[in-house]
Amino acid sequence: MSQTFSGDSGVAEAVKSSDLHPGTGAAFNADDFEPAVRINRFQGLSRPSLSYWSDAWMRPKKNRKATVSLAMVVFLALFTLVGPFLWRIDPSAQDMARISEGPTFAKTAVVIDEAASWTAPELSGIPAAPTASAENLLAPATLEADGVPSSQAVRLKWAPVTGASAYAVYRSETKPSGKVGTSELGVPIGEVDAGNKVGYEDTFNLERSEYFYSIVPKNGEEASKFTTLRVVLPSTIALSAAQALKSDIKVGETLHLSAHPFGTDYLGRDLLSRLMSGARVSLFIGFFAPLVMIFLGIVIGGAAGYTGGRTDNLLMAFADFVLALPFLLFMILFKIAFGVGAGESGIFPMLVAMVILSWPSSARLVRGQILQLRESEFVMASKLLGARPIYLLFRHLLPNTMGVILVSLTFAIPSAIFTEAFLSFIGMGVAPPTPSWGSMCNDGIQTFLTHPHEFLFPAIFISITVLSFNLLGDGLRDALDPRMRSTS
Amino acid sequence: MKNSTLVIFMQLTATVALTTPGLTSSALAATGSANKTLSYALSTEPPQLNSLKSTDTESFFILGHTMEGLTRYGKSGEIVPGVAEKWTMNDQGATFTLRKNAKWSDGKPVTAKDFLFSWRALVNPKTASEYAFIMYPVKNAEAINKGKLDPKELGVSAPDDYTVKVVFEKPCGYFLGLTAFGSFMPIREDFYNSKKDRYAADAGDLVYNGPFMLTKWTHGASLALDKNPNYWNKDRIALDRIDIPYITPDNNARFNFFKDNKVDLLETLNKDDLQKAQAERLKMKNFADGTLLFLEFNFRDKRPTANKNLRKAIASVFNADEYVNRVVGIPGTKAGLGLIPQWLRGSKDLFRKEHPMAARKANVAEGKKLIELAKKEMGVTSIPPLVWLTGDTPLSAKEAEYFQSLLKTTLGLELKIDKQIFKQRLAKMSAGDFDIVAAGWGPDYSDPMTFAELMTSWNENNRGQYKNAAYDKLIRSAQATAHATTRMTAMADAEKLAIDDFAILPLFERTKVYVHHDRVEGIVRHAVGPDPDFTMASIKTTKQ
Repeated sequence: MSQTFSGDSGVAEAVKSSDLHPGTGAAFNADDFEPAVRINRFQGLSRPSLSYWSDAWMRPKKNRKATVSLAMVVFLALFTLVGPFLWRIDPSAQDMARISEGPTFAKTAVVIDEAASWTAPELSGIPAAPTASAENLLAPATLEADGVPSSQAVRLKWAPVTGASAYAVYRSETKPSGKVGTSELGVPIGEVDAGNKVGYEDTFNLERSEYFYSIVPKNGEEASKFTTLRVVLPSTIALSAAQALKSDIKVGETLHLSAHPFGTDYLGRDLLSRLMSGARVSLFIGFFAPLVMIFLGIVIGGAAGYTGGRTDNLLMAFADFVLALPFLLFMILFKIAFGVGAGESGIFPMLVAMVILSWPSSARLVRGQILQLRESEFVMASKLLGARPIYLLFRHLLPNTMGVILVSLTFAIPSAIFTEAFLSFIGMGVAPPTPSWGSMCNDGIQTFLTHPHEFLFPAIFISITVLSFNLLGDGLRDALDPRMRSTS
Repeated sequence: MKNSTLVIFMQLTATVALTTPGLTSSALAATGSANKTLSYALSTEPPQLNSLKSTDTESFFILGHTMEGLTRYGKSGEIVPGVAEKWTMNDQGATFTLRKNAKWSDGKPVTAKDFLFSWRALVNPKTASEYAFIMYPVKNAEAINKGKLDPKELGVSAPDDYTVKVVFEKPCGYFLGLTAFGSFMPIREDFYNSKKDRYAADAGDLVYNGPFMLTKWTHGASLALDKNPNYWNKDRIALDRIDIPYITPDNNARFNFFKDNKVDLLETLNKDDLQKAQAERLKMKNFADGTLLFLEFNFRDKRPTANKNLRKAIASVFNADEYVNRVVGIPGTKAGLGLIPQWLRGSKDLFRKEHPMAARKANVAEGKKLIELAKKEMGVTSIPPLVWLTGDTPLSAKEAEYFQSLLKTTLGLELKIDKQIFKQRLAKMSAGDFDIVAAGWGPDYSDPMTFAELMTSWNENNRGQYKNAAYDKLIRSAQATAHATTRMTAMADAEKLAIDDFAILPLFERTKVYVHHDRVEGIVRHAVGPDPDFTMASIKTTKQ
């Protein structure tokens, strides 16, 4: 590109003449006949030179959006590459005691002994199957926890109800309103099938710190009266599980459990480490596919534009043909063609399909630019001076299309990331247990209403990434387009 | 049973696109109180209402309301008289006396000929019914179905219009239960022939003898059943209409329909719905639907799972309590013990009480030893990745991932998860294109045989091709007698063989949690038979 010089118009400054003596006409001395000293004072640069690239760098720096998105991209790169070294939790390690936990930072648990087997107390002297109508049944007179409740097991025992042949056990996360009619006792957690068995052990998915248990006596139908007990569950961990984390721990000690800043998923896996390893897949596709695709685009577009004529027509007709091919169908076909079996990652066929089907757009851009540049004066001049085609291509044509190429590259990245997310979302991408942001969204959306974090975090990451690359591309386009210079 | 079994895994995903049908007037009726209409939402459209060809739960649900066999299921699953008024049964056969006031919806009487016609058609190889085998206890049924005999040779006869005589091939203690089953429903020959291929294609292409008639069927969108004015027991039917304004596989959508009072019953809640339901303060009930879910291993040659120590290693690291409580997460779910679920009755008491089976305890150390043994036997240093075939629902994916991690961390086994849609999964199961498949089996009738027969070498649904001559022999002997204790003991012995061989690894016996609105009473859930059963339901009259 042409450089702007400061100073006067191109020619050297006026020669500094020796003293003239106008009007005298006679007094010459020998010095006067010395040849004049030619002072070659070329024009100087009064400001530092501004190259194409430094200009390109300067402008996005002024563009706040572009700077922020560039910072985001750097952050994402660090998150993906450095993150796993700092946050060393195995993304596929399952912790069934901590399923679908929200973000937790410091959780402790008291180590307790393995739960000894427990059988519900069975009373003698009370018939197991009496006959009384359900309407007349009373609520159990007492209801209490047997032993200390823990997040391993809650054991309940209650006073027998005369005439009951069974008891239904309900568990609720909120306090029942106490209205007669037992309409909101919570989850039917279990049933005791004899009137003289007055205990129940609940081991079902105890993940909260507080539950309300209700016992409803039954005889065929459920009675309308019930007794409710509030049980507070301290956070506990069984000895064997604790020893797996810290070998020398003893019963009664407090164990610090690992923090999950982004919570855990439906199998108790750490979301942050899954996001990091998912980012690897998403960003790999996001960079690799556009790079290969642009390279193909340059080669084909360059060839078409430079040679022109029949070749150009043929290549561009082929590009049009490729553009018309359906992506999803080809993705599936490639998956089969590459023999990607069940349960294997579909990332490679996805990559191939993306590259093969998306090069035409960049090829068209490059071809258009080259076609225009080919006819421009400086290229003609170069040709006249005997430049060979290779020289022309690499020296003049391609560098001048760089702006267009870079911009289309930055716009291809978010669309590639999005395609990967979409394909993994519909189950065509990564194979479990490898996570990717798209597949994590797919898993998370099932539980969106109850555990929103499982869906929100990967979704936010996809959105931020796509947005930053788009804004960065926007900034780059402004920066790299020389015609935009006068406006900035 | 073929498919009632496997439909199981077609649990409904929240991601499936939903086409919301417009609010129909019938949908609004659910909120009216004077109206005796019950509203319900189906997850899929009934694929086949021709009782000769139906194999799935949705179709049997509709048929159970619109048709009536010789018997039907009562409130607690017991057999009650249907078209048959009374019957006698012994080891050789059974005689049913039909009631004279049983009528078709067009007013014509239901006669013995209607049963003869449909039963013969069911075993006719030309019909190619997948359920033909269920008729096999009837004399000559198997031979007819294999094309060796003429359908007229079936051991059923009608001495007069109101008597059906059945001759058994071998004693069949559970035959009464079969007569309530969907495939045993009567079909009127003249009507069937007049419709030809159109039979049961639309609401008008069926004639009904049950409590309800299908009056509206907008394919893919909605159905409506109206009370049958010609039903012999119509005074006992309290509902005027069963309206099905929505058909959607989307669990969340059905939950919202229920919340918005557009349907009266939500047939099943999944793990995450439980919290929503608590927040909404819904009254939840649970019921065991009789289905056993299990892992089936592939016994075909060259499959790693043909090695017993490998199967045993997998079984020994499986922690049933953790799986049921944390992964399945539906309260009331029982850990699977054997092939025969705990709710089935034996000779006097529950089968499982008469023939107890110990719960398996996880033992990782033993599993590690066994896997080394298996490698030695197979002569390999590492076992190739196992293909885990499963359904395409979120739940089955979670289960698969749980096992993937479990087997990787404990045994160092790699699992490749092969998620397939229902039909494709069935095809792959039949082709033996798997190592382990997460399968399920629901009962067709209320006898342990409906499960015990599953692992016999001649059963088409024995997808892993487990073969054990001793097992086959025991099941044959159980089928040859009507003596309850002998049968049960033989089946228990056979079950023990299969479990000790690790032919299957029982996971859990399914329980469903459901909710219905207070305005409806008497909704019955059946493990066997049409489920849910609305024939005994009524609408509470509320003051306005």
